[in-house]
Amino acid sequence: MKTGPLRVRRGVSGPSRPDALLARLRGPWRVAVAEASMTPSINAGDWLLVDPTAARWPRRGSVVVFREPGSGVLAVKRVAGRPGDWVPFAGSYLQLADDEAWLLSDATDDDVAALGFGGVVDSRRYGPVPVTALVGRVWFRYAPLARLGKMPGRPRR
Amino acid sequence: MSVITRFLTPKATAHAHCDLPCGVYDPEQARIEAESCYRIILKINGSEDATLRTRAIAIKERQADLVKHHLDTLWHDYFKPEHLEAVPNLHQLFWDATKQVSKVKASTSLEDAQKLLDLIDQVDAAWKATGGPAKTRIGGRPG
Repeated sequence: MKTGPLRVRRGVSGPSRPDALLARLRGPWRVAVAEASMTPSINAGDWLLVDPTAARWPRRGSVVVFREPGSGVLAVKRVAGRPGDWVPFAGSYLQLADDEAWLLSDATDDDVAALGFGGVVDSRRYGPVPVTALVGRVWFRYAPLARLGKMPGRPRR
Repeated sequence: MSVITRFLTPKATAHAHCDLPCGVYDPEQARIEAESCYRIILKINGSEDATLRTRAIAIKERQADLVKHHLDTLWHDYFKPEHLEAVPNLHQLFWDATKQVSKVKASTSLEDAQKLLDLIDQVDAAWKATGGPAKTRIGGRPG
């Protein structure tokens, strides 16, 4: 496996094929958030800025937008494991392949239950996510104005 | 909406996906699909028509899948750990019932279908014993 910088900048060693880069430039550059599994970091109704040129899984702790395996729905989660990492799964450990990430929710089942939702849906439900499903890295919240700013890190519990 | 807010409003929605249960559960749903398996088995056994039998078998497999789906939903979403006090054999019951669905899916024996109905009736009793009718149906079970 090729090792290198965790975050790849566009034009340096990003998508090698120009058409792939062009497709990425179409965005989305901004998303609105629905549902509650990223509370308290991100709430339903937040507006986020996305960097769609991210072509590899960003560093652990980054928030990403991706296509959910199976449904293809646009989803937002936090990177908990990167390619090659070992992640706890089903009472044991699982090694991620060299294109896969492990994406988790910030909220616990109790957090979302308090907001009237059922369990959180993330890699614990649908497994590792291949890099082809990555849409972009979330870097900034621009609404609501009271919580304007860069994406916070994983909440401490 | 002003031009500025229209420009700022994102066109894409990203889901911080979590389950959104409606909170309505009733074993009757599984029972109706299981009854339809029962009736279809009657039709299969009472006919020599190859086309009808083939169609009926396909329909029975589809209905059996629905039984399994409805039982799974009750098991995963309605029943909670604290219900084990009222129904200590809950897990065994669902294990037996869902295994029985697989049997009905593959078989044309009326006895297998009846056994499934009996197991669903036990699930129904467990649902009632844990306050299901008042908690999950709107205005209780009709009738």
